Amino acid sequence: MQHKLGLKLVRSGLIILAFLLLAIYLHITSGSYTMTLREIFRTLFGLNDDRKLELVIFQFRLPRIVIGALVGAGLGIAGAVMQGVTRNGLADPGILGINAGAGTAIVVYIFFFQEMIQSESIGGWLAVLMMPIFGFIGGLLVALLIFVFSWRQDTLDMQRLILTGIALGTGFGALSLYISLKMNANDFEMAAVWTSGSIYNANWIYIYAMLPWIICLGALLYRKSYLLNYFQLHDNSVRSLGIRNEKEKAILLLASIGLVSACVSVSGGIAFVGLIAPHISRRLVGNDYRYSMPISALTGMVLLVFCDYIAKTVFAPAELAVGIAVSIIGVPYFLYLLARANRGGG
Amino acid sequence: MQHQKKNRLAWLVLFTAPLTGALVVLISVLYGVKEMPLHTIWDVIFHYNATNVNHTILLSARLPRALAALLVGAFLAIAGAIMQGITRNYLASPSIMGVNDGSALVITLCMVLAPGLSGHMMIICSMAGSAVGAGIVFGFASLLRNGLAPVQLAIIGTVIGTFLSGFAAAFASYYQVSQNVSIWYNARMDGVDVHMLKLAVPLGIIGLVLAMAVSKSVTVMALGEEMAAGLGQKTFYIKLISMLSVVCLTGTAVALVGKIAFVGLVVPHITRFLIGVDYRLLIPCSAVIGGVFLCLSDVVSRFINAPFETPIGVVTAFIGVPFFLYLIWQKGGKKYAA
Repeated sequence: MQHKLGLKLVRSGLIILAFLLLAIYLHITSGSYTMTLREIFRTLFGLNDDRKLELVIFQFRLPRIVIGALVGAGLGIAGAVMQGVTRNGLADPGILGINAGAGTAIVVYIFFFQEMIQSESIGGWLAVLMMPIFGFIGGLLVALLIFVFSWRQDTLDMQRLILTGIALGTGFGALSLYISLKMNANDFEMAAVWTSGSIYNANWIYIYAMLPWIICLGALLYRKSYLLNYFQLHDNSVRSLGIRNEKEKAILLLASIGLVSACVSVSGGIAFVGLIAPHISRRLVGNDYRYSMPISALTGMVLLVFCDYIAKTVFAPAELAVGIAVSIIGVPYFLYLLARANRGGG
Repeated sequence: MQHQKKNRLAWLVLFTAPLTGALVVLISVLYGVKEMPLHTIWDVIFHYNATNVNHTILLSARLPRALAALLVGAFLAIAGAIMQGITRNYLASPSIMGVNDGSALVITLCMVLAPGLSGHMMIICSMAGSAVGAGIVFGFASLLRNGLAPVQLAIIGTVIGTFLSGFAAAFASYYQVSQNVSIWYNARMDGVDVHMLKLAVPLGIIGLVLAMAVSKSVTVMALGEEMAAGLGQKTFYIKLISMLSVVCLTGTAVALVGKIAFVGLVVPHITRFLIGVDYRLLIPCSAVIGGVFLCLSDVVSRFINAPFETPIGVVTAFIGVPFFLYLIWQKGGKKYAA
């Protein structure tokens, strides 16, 4: 049995990796400056001394792909954890308003440290590196509010949970819009980034800012992923297994909020990735979170890189925010999930 | 006794409506980036001078804006009240149910495919869009078991709304009219088209008449559909007329000023709290309170980030979100029976 599952895991892992490579290939070769695979490889390994190619690949396309992949992985993991802890297949950092809260905190941060961030000095670096921490505070605030509003008779009321999330998401969205208009009243585009999500202005500093978060928290959550399996049982059974239920849940949620904040600080709020990736991975490898969590991370990567490719090319030379591309693809899937959950006696 | 008191309050609201309306319009006209002395109004009415800057601002910018806020607030509040009544869902409202988004999507398409459309056509398109948005959301919801329950409907509405506005944003950025379209989205009240305002009045009256025509039945429907059918109500026709009214009112509102959230949600609740559940009184009172609410929100939106204007949707969200949270806190996933 164990062996069979392992085989399944390897096989689905390989399939998704193949998709990821395909998405990266599509993303890196296309754009306003097309290039061949040969040229790309030669440039990547430093065999080519065409400055133009080097610039396009290392300064524009590669950071964007890396950020897309990191954000996708972070959201995929965070989504899996949130769905596991709340025992609700519709939980998603975007729908629960965590994205919006983190986004607002980051907009506030940018509002106060705007000049520092734009400067090229060490201070500017530090300012960018600090962004996820502020996002974390905002995300935490929203999470706390959600808990306060949906805590009924010692359990989380799932319907209240989602409604509160929607409400808080709208509220914090309005707040970020207000603050970013206060920064620059004429810049709607800048404000729109935080509400719909975009990674077109990717650069390496952002990658350095989010990478430690993704690695540390990703590893922590993966280590704890076995707990999520127990959380699918009734609370009392979990307690009788000797697991410190509330404490472990809190750690898991905090870590996933941290992941989401790191993602939001770079890309703005991208919804639906955290929703879809865990579902796809569960379909591929089943309900065991030890396997479905890493697959969910990979699926998130594929989704986001692919959606970014679509966002970049479909209306070229105009760019679509990747968050919009994700939601156009994600909504039908969400509705399908909702319909299926309802038919299944939910 | 309680009932009588509420009835009296309702009539009070209705009879003082012209007065309150005039008062908020006055406030809205006088306050802004450029303050107007009170006697300007007198001058504008009795000896209007086209070369006087103050007179021009007052007549061509402030007044249409105040009237538009009043009308749109009333329209959205009526639409929200009817939707809450016929779906027996305390979260039903034009913004949450995707009606606004459908309307905005079709307007975007119009701006892209047929720029320079006349006011008439704009409003018709907007109504068609409202109908499409409402149709998709309610169609999908009624396919699901339990789909019309508050939470399900709110989730479906929000998600489909995201989808529709995603499409709108995609079209807008493809045809590079983002700038124009974001004006629709963010509901900036400046630049209300006077011509469109004139068209909105008869349409609003049609919507109100339709709403009032079914108001008695909606009161019964709010008790439960089986109950209503048992009492001899033709529920299908009532729903149809109600939807027509909602589409008419919301479509016109979006065509006038864009998407404004939370008015249609919050105002009917406040009104129901004040005057009770008789929709014959609830609908007109919601209209009055909604108009006043939006007009005052508009005044606030000019001040919180002066001299720049804040989108009015931000102001209504600041008021509406805590209220929304309060409703969820109170009622959770239950249907309400009144």
